[in-house]
Amino acid sequence: MEYARPIMWNVPHWAEIALYVMIPIVLAAFAAGVYWRARKWFLGRSEPGVESVPRLLLAAIHPGRLARWTPAALFQSRLSPDLFALVMHWAILWGMAVLFLGTALATIDQDFTNLPFDFQLLRGKFYCLFEIALDVFGVVLILGLGMAAYRRYLVRPKRLQATRTGVSLWDGFPFLATIALVAVTGFVAEGLRIAEGFHIEARVAAAEGLDAKIRVLDEMGFREHLHVGRERQDVQVNRIADGGRVFPAAIWAPVGYGLGKAFEPLSVDAIRALHQGVWWAHGLLAFGLIACIPLTKAFHLISSPANILLHSADPPGRLAVAVESGVTNVRDLTWRQLLQVDACTWCGKCQEACPANQCGFPLSPRDVVQAVDSQLLRTPAKANGEPPSLHDSRVRPEELWACCSCRACEEICPVFVQHPRLIVDLRRHLVDQGQVDEGLQDALMNFQRYGNSFGQSPRKRPDWTKPLDFTLKDARKEEVEYLWFVGDYASYDQRVQEVTRTIARVLRHAGVDVGLLMEKEQNAGNDVRRIGEEGLFAMLREKNAKELSGARFRKLLTTDPHTYNALKNEYDEVVAPVLHYTQLLDELLRGGALRLHRKLDYVVTYHDPCYLGRFNGVYDAPRRVLGAVGTRLVEMPRHGPNSFCCGAGGGRIWMKDAPTSQERPAENRVREALALPGVQCLVVACPKDLVMFQDAVKTVGAEGRLRVADLGELVYESLGITLKSMAEVAESTA
Amino acid sequence: MNIAVVVRQVPDLIEPLEIAPSGTEFDFGSASFLLNESDDHALEQALLLKEAHGGHVTVVALDFGDVDNTLYTAAAKGADRIVKIARDDAPPPPRAAAVLYAEAIKPIAPELVLVGVQAHDELDGGVAPFLAAALGMPYVGVIRGVAVGAEPGAVAAFKEFPGAVMARMNVKLPAVLGILGADQPPRYVPVSRIRGAMKTTQFEESAAAAVSSEPLTAIARLYPPAAGSRAEMLSGSETEIASRIVDILAQKGLVK
Ligand code: SF4
Ligand code: SF4
Repeated sequence: MEYARPIMWNVPHWAEIALYVMIPIVLAAFAAGVYWRARKWFLGRSEPGVESVPRLLLAAIHPGRLARWTPAALFQSRLSPDLFALVMHWAILWGMAVLFLGTALATIDQDFTNLPFDFQLLRGKFYCLFEIALDVFGVVLILGLGMAAYRRYLVRPKRLQATRTGVSLWDGFPFLATIALVAVTGFVAEGLRIAEGFHIEARVAAAEGLDAKIRVLDEMGFREHLHVGRERQDVQVNRIADGGRVFPAAIWAPVGYGLGKAFEPLSVDAIRALHQGVWWAHGLLAFGLIACIPLTKAFHLISSPANILLHSADPPGRLAVAVESGVTNVRDLTWRQLLQVDACTWCGKCQEACPANQCGFPLSPRDVVQAVDSQLLRTPAKANGEPPSLHDSRVRPEELWACCSCRACEEICPVFVQHPRLIVDLRRHLVDQGQVDEGLQDALMNFQRYGNSFGQSPRKRPDWTKPLDFTLKDARKEEVEYLWFVGDYASYDQRVQEVTRTIARVLRHAGVDVGLLMEKEQNAGNDVRRIGEEGLFAMLREKNAKELSGARFRKLLTTDPHTYNALKNEYDEVVAPVLHYTQLLDELLRGGALRLHRKLDYVVTYHDPCYLGRFNGVYDAPRRVLGAVGTRLVEMPRHGPNSFCCGAGGGRIWMKDAPTSQERPAENRVREALALPGVQCLVVACPKDLVMFQDAVKTVGAEGRLRVADLGELVYESLGITLKSMAEVAESTA
Repeated sequence: MNIAVVVRQVPDLIEPLEIAPSGTEFDFGSASFLLNESDDHALEQALLLKEAHGGHVTVVALDFGDVDNTLYTAAAKGADRIVKIARDDAPPPPRAAAVLYAEAIKPIAPELVLVGVQAHDELDGGVAPFLAAALGMPYVGVIRGVAVGAEPGAVAAFKEFPGAVMARMNVKLPAVLGILGADQPPRYVPVSRIRGAMKTTQFEESAAAAVSSEPLTAIARLYPPAAGSRAEMLSGSETEIASRIVDILAQKGLVK
């Protein structure tokens, strides 16, 4: 018979019994802890659009969803931009997982096959594989922990540093240190066991004759050490008396083997005593660790995968609203939001990506999430009354107002936390209490009165069309293919108006049949909603939806990504397809309706607007258009989903800069573009971006060095023929 | 404290005002109306006093323009009672209007009456002092903040004088105060609260509607101001403009 894994080697019977008594206690403690934490999620409200959580869970256990869940939950795919973090996290998670599974397998081997059937799974080649796997992953785990310690305690990146009292970089230390101790004591126990094997082998070799050898083995208690049936004991005794190794698989456990060699000089008694001590330490630490998971940050082992599994299936551009008047305390949040804050690992990725934070505004999305979570942890699961307010001391108004709703945090968060939603929920309470910034109050009053933020007469909305040498159709009066929902900045801002006209000329040149709602269009409300003024958003949506229902059109078109997002994701009344003009231009170019006559030889870079890119995934269409007009695109380091906000969103465009701010996000972005060699032009596809970046180019003193141009302007330029006809127009009107 | 606040609708100057063919009145046909700004401050001041010291705020208005919207907003902000004076046509000029407001306010028996110190449609003077006269109460105008003072039956009113001098006056109640600004700017009221107030607020009709309110002033002619020609636009480079300015100042004897 082959050799097999030694069972409870050198462990006295009473200790084995004690161990078995402890297993259910530890598991019960763990389960109780998980239950205690999970119950708190349901202090929250129900989630809009979710009937019941069990049903949602059932639906989530679906091959397609699990296929999306696996990379994010088991392999932390969202950490991929940070290779160090990814490797570190894999090492710790998979190191722990393999060691835990190995221990579980050993328990099965011992209790479910050996004890009742006197048979072992872990024997022969399979056992060798088991040994090497556990040794390798043990080393991987220790290396991973070393990487974590290096980052947290030597590199100390800002995103991991505490900014508030109550949380610290050292919070995770006891847990990480305990994992390391469990791994190290595991190796040491293994080494001591192997060292004892060396002693047995030496004494057996020294004895003369088979009987003497067997006697040595019996004297050394070898049979008792084996914990197997008499027959199998005989087999092993004979094998070793025959010159076989006590632990033939030891060589497959290189770390254990090496430690065994190191401990060999100790006496057998010392080795046995040490082994028992270390074995206990290993077991108790591991049990303690398991029982403590729900009480520490390691709870994210449970909460993060759960959150990723139960993540909302809504498009990112659709803001969920559970309480219109906003969130005052943790019980006003939904269970999904509470699960999210509990899933946070305090990795600080969101803070690092946050444009507000980078520019010195008083906001860290990580700290907002943590503030809510720490309040949740302090709230008893059976809370009947009102938990304390989340506002003021926990989450300050200036933090909430600093957010530009750019979604960079949500995009990067490895565990799918929806920070913007949380921030808007908290903002709603401030709006409900009338606590808004002066500039914002003016904008909101203007929206209420005039349907635009400029405080301009609604009647003047279509005035931008007056200088055109053709008239645009009124979609309320005649049928059109595209209803152009122009938006505030494109309609009222003088600098943008010229660009809007340029785009109108391009569309006319391509023969696109467009019409407007004229003075009946009002702001679509995207930013109003994100300011937290839900009632005003509902009012604007009602008015627009009414006008839209009276117009005849096939598709909706807009140049404004904010408008695009609202119409596409938040106007349930609108069933027509919604296009951003970059998408339409791309279609027209590819379909041949728009033929370019001049190749532009500019070197350009392109800024992905948050509400076009990150919120709606439109990245390729504008880039294809840039290619078609002949420009050479040089990407900024932060592009695509990682694009850096211009700072205008979420109502920020109407608010004052924070006194602590070092620079505006738009200036930061313009500097990024300026740093690219040879780039002449920063191309934008959003009316607000045009305004923000043109200002920023001036404030950073780069006038004349970087042109800020709308994508539509470049298309217009490459249409040579239109330029000629415009010259004719100028002549005829002169 | 029992406080009455008068709020008025004024034409929104975002659209140019049209003069009716008669030449003696405005054509309000296409105009929109909004709450007079200093009345908004008067309301805010009343609510701040109520929040700090308790009390009861009654808002009085002539039924005209978008007044319902304004009144629902006032209710959403915390006004307790809304009294509306029914009208068939545009409100009369201030002297006549003050009589109507006074009639509506008398049954409320307020200790303090707050009204905006100015409005841009005050053809024959400010409503506030006329109202005080009609009610037989003392009046102080251009007030920038009101506090409940140490003395019972009085309030402290703050008035700003030119040259950055502030005065604190003890005003015996009952009194009418003409408000220029509240202690803090009017707060924002979310639309959902206004919509909520629309469902729950009941307006009271004032008996003052029956009082006749003949204008006490007759308008001979309304016309846009003739464009003056006194402005001289300076042009040229920055240095040229600067030296021109220095010349002008020297000519006027302002610099040597
Ligand atoms: S949405 Fe943007 S600005 Fe707001 S917290 Fe997230 S990253 Fe920061
Ligand atoms: S919210 Fe997400 S990204 Fe931010 S610290 Fe928590 S886990 Fe990290």
